[in-house]
Amino acid sequence: MEHTWDFSSILASRDLLLVGLGNTIRLGVLCLVVGLTAGLFVGAARYSRNRLINWPATAFIEVFRNTPALVQIMWFFFAFPIISPFQIDAFTAATLGLSLNTTAFCAEVYRGGIQSIHKGQWEAAKAIGMSYSQQMRRIILPQAIARMIPAFMNRAVELMKMTSLASVIAFGELMHQAKAISTYNFNPIETYTVVALIFFIMIYPMAMVVQRVELHLRRSDQ
Amino acid sequence: MTEVLRIENLHKSFGANHVLKGIDLVVEKGQAVVLIGASGSGKSTLLRCVNFLETPSDGRVWLDGTLVGHQSNGAMDYRESDLIPIRSHVGMVFQHFNLFPHMTARQNVMEGPRTVLRLSKAECIERGEKYLRKVGLAEKMDAYPSHLSGGQQQRVAIARALAMEPRLMLFDEATSALDPELVGEVLQTMKDLADEGMTMLIVTHELGFAYSVSDKILFLHQGLIHEQGTPDEILVRPSQTRTREFLRGHATFRLPDAEF
Ligand SMILES: Nc1ncnc2c1ncn2[C@@H]1O[C@H](COP(=O)(O)OP(=O)(O)OP(=O)(O)O)[C@@H](O)[C@H]1O
Ligand SMILES: [Mg+2]
Repeated sequence: MEHTWDFSSILASRDLLLVGLGNTIRLGVLCLVVGLTAGLFVGAARYSRNRLINWPATAFIEVFRNTPALVQIMWFFFAFPIISPFQIDAFTAATLGLSLNTTAFCAEVYRGGIQSIHKGQWEAAKAIGMSYSQQMRRIILPQAIARMIPAFMNRAVELMKMTSLASVIAFGELMHQAKAISTYNFNPIETYTVVALIFFIMIYPMAMVVQRVELHLRRSDQ
Repeated sequence: MTEVLRIENLHKSFGANHVLKGIDLVVEKGQAVVLIGASGSGKSTLLRCVNFLETPSDGRVWLDGTLVGHQSNGAMDYRESDLIPIRSHVGMVFQHFNLFPHMTARQNVMEGPRTVLRLSKAECIERGEKYLRKVGLAEKMDAYPSHLSGGQQQRVAIARALAMEPRLMLFDEATSALDPELVGEVLQTMKDLADEGMTMLIVTHELGFAYSVSDKILFLHQGLIHEQGTPDEILVRPSQTRTREFLRGHATFRLPDAEF
């Protein structure tokens, strides 16, 4: 089949794409920030010896890690408003789904990172008279976070890709805008090609940075 | 003589494993006391009960004449807030050094004075340099642990403990993880400390070292102090069969009187 590539209609709808790009970035960055912050608390809760704190955190993590992000987004958009008194727009539903999913992921990274630090580090810190929070702040976290960075950066990359899931609830991110443009102009080939390119240009440098950082950390670990 | 450490009837169990079964021990100011015993006899556990990295199951511990913890219904109650000052006055050196890998030698040594004692920056720097110099590492102040030899790392760990200016130093097999050629420098550092009058409680398998630095040697066996006395009494003329067996195991292969 012959296809004559014609990008003029895309150029004409570039404002729509730019809005989409803006929304994609907004959603991705917000979910990452929420996930990194809330994940620290959920991770700490899961680390707790108190069952009343530990158990809900564990349940939260398991639920969000073992269901698809797409289902979570749909659930927050279609199911949650019915069983709760809140009105929820597409952006809020997408943010809830992706940021809670990211929170669960980050919680596990924090926990794993902290557990990867040898028990001797805690003891050495304790033996010079540090309190638990001093041990954590001065000795454990600085080492653990260095080990967590690659996982967090990989998550950031994944998250940028996952934002496209929000198109199913008609949130105006890149993918949704593309769908609109291609239906209106009958140019799915050009539109989705351009969207793929935009994602690639956005994500590839991030992935390269992750690789660099991983290599650097592996070297300095020796 | 003033007592730095007094332990009475110390017990420690891990579940059903009754490791220490009533230890009595006094360490006086300026003394170097060495603890010997077979693997698993509870030497580390005893040391770790002194700075409360382990909580004793029963018994009493006094540091500088003060009973550690609170008595409640005849048993001892240890609160973290009581133990923190104790730990800051008792230095510990571990078999595997446990230096903080993300800090330079100097930062390792300054960490306690800075975070725990909250000294001024100038004082922390001064202590860092003073104690690194003391262990012979003036040249390595800005090196990270991964760039130091095992012997150097252990000396930094000793400096880190000394920087807290402790009343008592605990050494748990400080040279067991070292290559043979690096053992000497660490033992020398420890001997210098003992000669300066530091009060020390030392677990070691280096019997020659134990003989030359210690004021008193304790042989731990089956959770109890089986025999104790001067280095000559324990290492040269032990009276108990178990002690003799233990020492024989350590002296199976020996050089004739060599001249190095
Ligand atoms: N945290 C712990 N939990 C459970 N059991 C422990 C713990 N620490 C030590 N033990 C047990 O206590 C006993 C004494 O151990 P300890 O490490 O004090 O011996 P040790 O004399 O230092 O031996 P080594 O010469 O091998 O270092 C061992 O049976 C050990 O398994
Ligand atoms: Mg031991």
